[in-house]
Amino acid sequence: MNRKKDIYILACLFAVTFYSCKHGEGEYHSLHDKIEAESKTYHDTTMTSEAFFNDIKTIEITEGVHTFLIPERKGQIKSYACIECHTESLDKLKSKDMKKAHWDINLVHADKNTMNCATCHNGNDMNNLNTLTGNTVDFNSSYKLCAQCHSSQFEDWKGGAHGKRIGGWVPPRASFTCVNCHNPHSPSFETRWPSRFNTEQIEESHEGLAQ
Amino acid sequence: MSDNKKWYSLDLNFKKKKETSGSCGCGKTSGGCGSHNNEMTDDAFLEAAVNASIGDEVRKDGFDQVFDVKMDRRSAFKKLTASLLIGAGAVSTSCSVVTGDDSKEKAQIDWEEQFKGNYKLMSDKEKKGTVERLMRSYELRTGKNISMTSENAKEDVLFGYAFNISKCQGYMDCVNACIEENNQDRNSQMQYIRIHEMKDGNGFKFDEADDNYYHEVPAEGHFYMGTQCFHCDNPPCVEVCPVQATWREDDGLVVIDYDWCVGCRYCMAACPYDGRRFNWSKPEVPEAEINKNQHYLGNRMRKKGVMEKCTFCVQRSRKGQNPACVEACPTGARIFGNLLDPNSTIRWVLENKKVFRLKEDLGTEPKFWYFMD
Repeated sequence: MNRKKDIYILACLFAVTFYSCKHGEGEYHSLHDKIEAESKTYHDTTMTSEAFFNDIKTIEITEGVHTFLIPERKGQIKSYACIECHTESLDKLKSKDMKKAHWDINLVHADKNTMNCATCHNGNDMNNLNTLTGNTVDFNSSYKLCAQCHSSQFEDWKGGAHGKRIGGWVPPRASFTCVNCHNPHSPSFETRWPSRFNTEQIEESHEGLAQ
Repeated sequence: MSDNKKWYSLDLNFKKKKETSGSCGCGKTSGGCGSHNNEMTDDAFLEAAVNASIGDEVRKDGFDQVFDVKMDRRSAFKKLTASLLIGAGAVSTSCSVVTGDDSKEKAQIDWEEQFKGNYKLMSDKEKKGTVERLMRSYELRTGKNISMTSENAKEDVLFGYAFNISKCQGYMDCVNACIEENNQDRNSQMQYIRIHEMKDGNGFKFDEADDNYYHEVPAEGHFYMGTQCFHCDNPPCVEVCPVQATWREDDGLVVIDYDWCVGCRYCMAACPYDGRRFNWSKPEVPEAEINKNQHYLGNRMRKKGVMEKCTFCVQRSRKGQNPACVEACPTGARIFGNLLDPNSTIRWVLENKKVFRLKEDLGTEPKFWYFMD
């Protein structure tokens, strides 16, 4: 009798565990399992995000394992190429009888001990940028200069956690580069007013409770 | 039954009703209650139909809405009559020999729309049919064209979203873009996205958060985070819907068939994240501001008395474009992509950043993650 009861209990237990492994409609225990399982058979969708770039010209870069597009930069700089004006040495251009240029640039980036114009620009090769060790960097790859100090932001940007994606979520991936959002001479953002009220604020101002 | 009795007792109308002064049985003192005039305009028609389905409920609180329903013969007949009027009106216009071709076509469309099935169960042909009817109906009504699609979920796509709390500065550009993209009611100031301003060092305290700020942002000592529909993989709102007007699509989007929704708001109550919105009044968008690039499940015009919510901009995302909020965010705090693509940026974020979700212990499996730099 006791044995029969034991078997009965065991059978019930087996049935319960057996059925609890299957969740009715969903086949997976968690979203994580689902993503892992279903991405094994992933093949590229036929869509492309190129149509959403509008008139942004892009160039392809490869950094580590990541290959993606960034906006072309040189065509966007109004006074490029620099040597159109920088035909003479800086000392001469700075002299009083010359017309002033770049008067609107005010370097607010780190401090004077860390950075000055020559940290990124080379007076003898104005058409290019230069690294801390004096290597030449093209204006289109200016992110390489930023990455010298901002290494964690660089890692995040390469992966896609920092910065902004252009157009769509489908491949090919195009992301804004550092200088598309940050002014390299004054990279931090200033505070500003929100672009709209929140809902409640508007309700109150309708009722005359708030301004 | 407006005393403090908090249990249900069947009102069989044994007690004489208190007659309200000089009115008919519907309780309204001015204007028509719908059962008197025979000639109705299209708008009055729609109004009557909506009133017949939700009626006075908009002005009562939850308890009264559920239990204080006078179901005497008179009101029951009135509701029946209103629904019959819709059908009869359509039939009479479509069979009449005097009415013009346009109004006949309109009546035909109204008739077919009235008796169409649940979008979830439609074949692709039926989906195309209803979308074409809705576009034609808009053209007949306003003389302007809209483009509406019924694009299905793509294979090998599961949408996911990540939100960088360190980056959000509370600029509200996302909210603006969302309203414009999704044709949300301007009168009631409907917003799918909420941006919460929270104090540094206090953690996530939604009850102490300021959702109503208006000052220069970012404010000293505060951080900002946004919430919207999280498109749960195990959505409680879908479970509770009594008419299956909301469901999860294969690409993970939780969507609503606005024409099948009865406006019971069970889903609103079931959502643990304040993700759903209700149209208490007739949604109004100025003609010039209407986004005419629409999807049946997304930003097409809604009516009074139905639920709506964020759809990750289904009309954009199914074409490969980013949702409007992602595109509008000036800080890059919003990341959107395909969870099934191992090379997508959203996957990199999930695998390399310390991500978390809200109320994870509920098992709702939201596809909306938060992370910090």
